[in-house]
Amino acid sequence: MKHLFVGFCLLFSAVVLAQEKYSIRGTIKDITNGETLLGASVFLKGTSNGAITNEYGFFSLTAPKGTYTLIISYMGYETLTKDINLDADQTLNFELKEFATSLNEVIIVAEESEQVNLKKPQMSVSKLNASTIKQMPAVLGEIDVVKSIQMLPGVTNNGEGSAGFNVRGGAVDQNLVLLDEAIIYNTSHFFGFFSVFNADAIKDIKLYKGDIPAKFGGRVSSVLDVRQKDGNSKNFNLTGGIGLISSRLAAEGPLFKEKGSFLIAGRTSYAHLFMKGIEDLKDDKISFYDLNLKTNYDINKNNRVYLSGYFGRDVFNLSKIIENTYGNATANLRWNHIFNDKLFSNLSLIYSKYDYQIVLDFIELDWIADIKNYNLKYDLKYYLSDKVKLEFGASGISYKLNPGEVRPTSETSPVNYLKLDQKRAFEGGLYVSAEHQITDKLTAQYGLRYSAFSRLGGQSMTNYINNQPVVYNDQLGIYERGEVASETYFGKSERIKNYDNFEPRLGLSYQLNDVSSIKASYTKSSQYIHLLSNTSSVTPLDVWTPSGQYIKPQRSTQYAFGYYKNFNDNAYSLEVETYYKTVDNRIDYIDGSDLIGNNTIETEILNGEARAYGLEVLLRKNKGDFTGWLAYTLSKSEQRTYGGQAGGPGINGGHWYNTPYDRTHDISLTGIYKLNDKWSFSSNFVFQTGRPVTYPNGQYNYEGLSVATFSNRNEDRLPAYHRIDISATYTPNRKPDNRWKGEWVFGIYNLYNRKNAASITFNQNNQTGLNEASRISIFGLIPSVTYNFKF
Amino acid sequence: MLAVVFMSCEDVIDVDVPTGQTRLVIEASLDWEKGTSGSNQQVKLSTSTPYFETEAIPVVVGASVKVVNTNTNEEFVFVDQNDGTYLTTTFVPVIGNTYQLEVIYNDETYTATQTMTSVSDINNITQSIEGGFDDELLELNIYFDDPEDEANYYLVRYYEDGDLFPYFEDISDEFLNGNEIHDFFEKDDDEDSGQAPFQPGDTVEINLYGISESYYNYIRLLIEQYYSGGDPFSSTSAEIRGNCINETNDDNYAYGYFRATEVVKTSYTFQ
Repeated sequence: MKHLFVGFCLLFSAVVLAQEKYSIRGTIKDITNGETLLGASVFLKGTSNGAITNEYGFFSLTAPKGTYTLIISYMGYETLTKDINLDADQTLNFELKEFATSLNEVIIVAEESEQVNLKKPQMSVSKLNASTIKQMPAVLGEIDVVKSIQMLPGVTNNGEGSAGFNVRGGAVDQNLVLLDEAIIYNTSHFFGFFSVFNADAIKDIKLYKGDIPAKFGGRVSSVLDVRQKDGNSKNFNLTGGIGLISSRLAAEGPLFKEKGSFLIAGRTSYAHLFMKGIEDLKDDKISFYDLNLKTNYDINKNNRVYLSGYFGRDVFNLSKIIENTYGNATANLRWNHIFNDKLFSNLSLIYSKYDYQIVLDFIELDWIADIKNYNLKYDLKYYLSDKVKLEFGASGISYKLNPGEVRPTSETSPVNYLKLDQKRAFEGGLYVSAEHQITDKLTAQYGLRYSAFSRLGGQSMTNYINNQPVVYNDQLGIYERGEVASETYFGKSERIKNYDNFEPRLGLSYQLNDVSSIKASYTKSSQYIHLLSNTSSVTPLDVWTPSGQYIKPQRSTQYAFGYYKNFNDNAYSLEVETYYKTVDNRIDYIDGSDLIGNNTIETEILNGEARAYGLEVLLRKNKGDFTGWLAYTLSKSEQRTYGGQAGGPGINGGHWYNTPYDRTHDISLTGIYKLNDKWSFSSNFVFQTGRPVTYPNGQYNYEGLSVATFSNRNEDRLPAYHRIDISATYTPNRKPDNRWKGEWVFGIYNLYNRKNAASITFNQNNQTGLNEASRISIFGLIPSVTYNFKF
Repeated sequence: MLAVVFMSCEDVIDVDVPTGQTRLVIEASLDWEKGTSGSNQQVKLSTSTPYFETEAIPVVVGASVKVVNTNTNEEFVFVDQNDGTYLTTTFVPVIGNTYQLEVIYNDETYTATQTMTSVSDINNITQSIEGGFDDELLELNIYFDDPEDEANYYLVRYYEDGDLFPYFEDISDEFLNGNEIHDFFEKDDDEDSGQAPFQPGDTVEINLYGISESYYNYIRLLIEQYYSGGDPFSSTSAEIRGNCINETNDDNYAYGYFRATEVVKTSYTFQ
């Protein structure tokens, strides 16, 4: 703690106000709907002095007394200029107009392509906005945020129908996914076929693959920051879409005489309606729905409150045999307060919950589990001078995890009631970070996050003989559960285990000339809660677990270096980044681990480490009728798991082995072509090295079966994955006074009907008795049509 | 299951798989059928082959096989039948006694120990349509009591007359302790795999074994990998190590298992 205060004092005292300076502050909004624009820039012409709006559209900049021309710009919007005489602090609000008001406007927000952003030390960040995402071809026309970020370099997932995404060779649980600041624990619907984000409710998304700002903490790979729209504060309107899988409807409009606005958006699937018509499927039900809500109110020019919420649910019911429901629920109450021209603050009270329930009728069992957290967070931004901006704040997250409760569903059920130990934990964070323009060309972003974690009592912990939850059996060559020595009960006021970490973050950018820059970053971060999953794809039934006596926090260190260039009058941009990342305390599961209903997960895991490194190239065309990007990633992601305290060689003999998310090559090409006002076309191409898997390396006869023997973990690979998708958007003519705007999106997914292996299973054919390999491929060629509208 | 809804497709393809080391396979199952003397016992020895090898599994002859009851020091020698099986007719099974297997093959000695585990009787066998996975197909149900004061593990083997292979289920009383345990066996209607649902007149052999915890850990994994190996929602496939240790050269371990169980054998014909 002491270090932090010292740091604070140094930062403040470092700035000496040499001459008379004044501040301009304000908010930048969209002129048509009043949505605040985040990432818009305000610039003093002829200087390098500028500011970028924050998440709430707020900016503040400071300059010496004088007359200036302000340039206010945002990608996809008309640039505004304004002459000002800066002789006093002032508040200036701006409203920008979109280039075209057409519904199918294509905007790729290339943050780095704007002048100021070549200087901004922030690197390894990708941004997509809802209108770009809506243009990209999607399976069954179902617009998907999580799938679209996989078109960016360094982002993959485990194939069709697997939940979540992997960033720079990291695991799914290493991504901090935030929807209006609330943690989303599971990003998928339909077991991973679709994502939980309704594109109609989303303003934009930002993915930090590295160089994570100090204000974020708690995950070691990435941050996906998804922001919901505030709602149109000028007019009431409806947007929606009708697709093959789901339909969407969003209503938004002003409230309280334009002092506030609201957005309410819903989405629901209706595949189950079709299934009713099919004899074999009439008892099955697979459906999902989402509800997004946001409202805000301007109390006065210095105070604004926001309330946002999300509720989503999946229902999966198979012939009344298996009934599975799961979903996220979040709520966030925020208060923006502007202290003065230079100090902006936001206080958030956030709630998140993820729960699932599975009812297995054939064994009369009902299983429920959940994780929930409350998070209180206070973030401040201090525009100290034209050279230095400070961000600092604190947060506290209180977790409650219920890893599982089993209930018999009838009196005759053979199942006994069982409740696994509830787990409680607290995670605190403090951070300070500065963006500092050191010279005209050199800008630094440096910060420090201090995180502390306490696993709280209220449960018993098992102690093992020789303190070994897992023991290597030397003779049999296998890892086995350790022997229980005793149990210790920790009262609710006791702490089972404490951890804390300092997480320095450093970014530098050096502008080589007007169109190119180089950047470097160093990021340390810690992760205290982990998703337990011993399968190659995460499932909705995987359980989160906090660090404690036996599971240590994951800690990552990432170095990244990048080169950025805009050319042809900013029509093209090139970003090349390389990274090297290590993660300490990455657990892996012993052979044959059994996580289901397990109260003592420590008996199934070994502690190890992971590393990933790679090269990412992103070439974009940002302007013109043809836009798009080419992303290429060359990378390696490995882990190593020693026996450690358990003894023995560890997994795969203690050697490095591929993680399931290692992809040597990953190429994505996205192109969007606007033919005329009526038609635009887009296409994706994806190529990826196959996923690491474990293949059989022999067979033997046992109990009349041909039993497979296996090679080392993840030593083999599925065949390469590739496909092309296309889509066409048709916007019919409409009368200028007609408020109804509609568009048709026709798509074909997997145009050449490639049978990409989602998995290969090895079985004994029960007619011939011979072994065979079966490929399961999920999506063949799939045509789709979607109708989107706005009123 | 999702496959049904998502138009996924499954096809048989050629895959190059690695070839591991050839190893001795020991299938030493001392199964004492309730109500019998249990004196006839058999050990099978063979070797592993490449995964897609279609030739018959090579049997091992010329090994020496014996089992010692470590509680009584009685020794039972298994006689080589020259077809990969080794037989004894003098075995004496005792619940709770510990047995040690010794196999000498190619001048290497393999040993394993197991304690003979008892099993409950089957209380009842029924047939039904409503239960099971599909409420339109016939299944058979077995019921047996789980003793409350200990952890129990079971292996159930179902075999329909005329089938190529048996079907196995592993059961632990972890969530079921002290209750009457119900297990069912239902066959899918699956033309692709040539599987037909049960019809009246079909006969199913049922074996219920009481097994040790260590054998449960082995067979659970074997069953999981056999039925869903490579499936993205099953745990990562791995080498399954049995309990036979090569005392001479521990790298050259054997596959298979030495088990000592009590078993209830019965059969049921659908009405």
